[in-house]
Amino acid sequence: MKVAYFSPMPPERSGIADYSALVLPELRQRIGVEVVRRGRKRAPRAADVCLYHVGNNPDAHGWIVEALRRRPGVVVLHDFVLHHLVAGLTIGRRDGHGYLDAMEREGGVVGRLLGHAVLDKRIPPLWENRPEDFHLAGEIFDLASALIVHSRYVRDRARAAGYGKPVFVVPHPAWPAPDVQPERVEGEPLFGAFGNLNATKRVPQLLEAFARVRGSHPRARLLLVGAASPGFDLERRLQRLGLDSSGLIREDYVDEARLWALMTACDVVVSLRAPTMGETSGGVIRALTLGKPLVVSDVGWFRELPDETALKVPPDEGEADTLAAALELLAAREDVRAAMGDAARTLAVREHDVGRSAELYVAALEQAAGGAVVQEEIFVDVARAAAEVGIGPDAPDVTAIAQRLAEVELAE
Amino acid sequence: MRIAVCRPQVPFARGGAEIMTDTLVSELRARGHDADLVSVPFKWYPGARVLTQAFLWRMLDLDEADGQKIDMVVATKFPSYVVRHPEKRVWLVHQFRQAYELDRTDLGQFSESPEDRALRRSVQRLDRLALGEATRLFSTSSNVAERLERSTGLIAEVLPHPPQQLGYRCEGYGDFVLSANRLDRAKRIDLLLEAAALDPALRVVVVSNGPDRARLEEVAHGHGINGRVEFRGRVSGEQLADLYARCLAVYYAPVDEDFGMGPYESFLSEKPVITTTDAGGPLDVVLDRQTGLVVAPDAADIAQAAAWLREHPADAARFGRAGKALAEEVTWDHAIGRLLS
Repeated sequence: MKVAYFSPMPPERSGIADYSALVLPELRQRIGVEVVRRGRKRAPRAADVCLYHVGNNPDAHGWIVEALRRRPGVVVLHDFVLHHLVAGLTIGRRDGHGYLDAMEREGGVVGRLLGHAVLDKRIPPLWENRPEDFHLAGEIFDLASALIVHSRYVRDRARAAGYGKPVFVVPHPAWPAPDVQPERVEGEPLFGAFGNLNATKRVPQLLEAFARVRGSHPRARLLLVGAASPGFDLERRLQRLGLDSSGLIREDYVDEARLWALMTACDVVVSLRAPTMGETSGGVIRALTLGKPLVVSDVGWFRELPDETALKVPPDEGEADTLAAALELLAAREDVRAAMGDAARTLAVREHDVGRSAELYVAALEQAAGGAVVQEEIFVDVARAAAEVGIGPDAPDVTAIAQRLAEVELAE
Repeated sequence: MRIAVCRPQVPFARGGAEIMTDTLVSELRARGHDADLVSVPFKWYPGARVLTQAFLWRMLDLDEADGQKIDMVVATKFPSYVVRHPEKRVWLVHQFRQAYELDRTDLGQFSESPEDRALRRSVQRLDRLALGEATRLFSTSSNVAERLERSTGLIAEVLPHPPQQLGYRCEGYGDFVLSANRLDRAKRIDLLLEAAALDPALRVVVVSNGPDRARLEEVAHGHGINGRVEFRGRVSGEQLADLYARCLAVYYAPVDEDFGMGPYESFLSEKPVITTTDAGGPLDVVLDRQTGLVVAPDAADIAQAAAWLREHPADAARFGRAGKALAEEVTWDHAIGRLLS
């Protein structure tokens, strides 16, 4: 079987490009793959099935959506909420009507009116303020013959949004642990948080919680790694919270090698997120590989992490308190950190092995490529047998037959 | 308890699974249970027929029979475990192996067409769902359990079953090696024939029938060993027990076998087993130089193993007795106790 593979690829700076670089060699060992050149919107003729990686970044994924429009296929949905992508592909290309149509499709007249308000700059952009309320994935759902997602959370949301075609959950694969020396960073313990600094990463809450932990663990340090998002002023946040920067260690954007070295030095990795767009976190996956205990938000994919590996913090009014308690526990209990680290490493091997992910990809692609024919054949065979003994389309037994077929997923 | 034992039936074929399920029903009855066999014909080709035939099991209503509740179903091999029941125990004999480890081998069934690839995946998905419904999941050997875990992630408890009841006994260690497998390619009886071609002192008796018989007879003829290889066809239980009683050893070397009653029957007759390193299930009990000889799947190695046993009859007897001690631990009391617990 030949697969046409549409994805951003290195050296493009994108998490999905890194992801594809990891998965592709394993995939190629199992199935014929042709990576489609960036910008090309037609699939190679010999392809049995097309695989489209869709994320929220319009620059990285715009051409992929256009190719998907030409030939439907299997979509790897890296984010459930695609508002930012759709805004980029419509408003970003001076197609306000396209944006209004997308908003109306999902939110009805109210959605369209809100869209108008956005276009007229009467309200702040929804993709910044309320993206989770309007996922705008409807067009992708229409075009996707099957979905590959990384979490049950996204699968369930797609189902709740009315997506009725096959959905396959393929865990995000883990990178092999590189042979790096840990960076020398002080801290006993050293907490690390990686990724862009912004409000959705719950940095204010983290700073507040960490300040409390410092009271009982003065040698603890918090390493914040990642570029600050526009409008996010760390110093001002600290001032507003009445916190000083003691115990804080800042690193701006770092390259991959340094990221691993810094993470290796950490005793605990904190990865908070709310609201979630349904994404997985490459940082958390790396932390699992390294066997680091985790503190995460109790949302989306993060909630699916086994409790043995991660302490989960609900993003509610008590968030800072819960977070402080979690950090306190991990600061005080080296044995707990060790046990969670072991569980994390085991999980990375068991669930996130790249070979296993590739196997699941192949299974999904094979079913997507030939599954409709198989289902049709089953349906015809069963319907013919039923008709031969007088069970017609309107007979009550037909419902029972359909139910049984659906139970064992022999028919949608 | 009212128990329905579920078994697919390939018409006109009878092998280990049929013997096991028939015996299970009578052993359940002997222990006071109201047990019966539920059997549905099975054909796995062409195209999606493998799934529509499996689906027949899903349409069965085994909640009750003639107004009386059925307390439990015990499903055995694909696709009988697709049956619905609130108390579904599965004692897995094997999955549909063409969809797994036999895929893309000579014994496979699915081509490289997108439809066939999808069909294979659908069988796997059906397995995951249907086996996942079991309230308890057993397998007849660790080989079957390992395959299941690899393919579906489901964990089965290993529960071997005793072989068919025959008048097992030992009347010495004769000059022939016995093969009592069904004659099909996967049982690799041709390796034994090639071994006989290499060793002029090796005599072979092949019992049973199967689709590979004509080819095997040609192989024997081609090697010019007709005088030393006897094809007896299907024999009675008494005749089989007699052959076990008199043979030197039993050859049992299928490719990646599920379980295989052959070694147990051999052991109860105090005979060592010659098997191969890739035989699968038999390796649970055929332990090299303890209960038999485990060699590479190569005719020369098999010939050498048979010659060694011929030259060391005391060791052959010792291996056979050790095997018997092992086989005697596998009883229906124990198996049924766990199955119903």
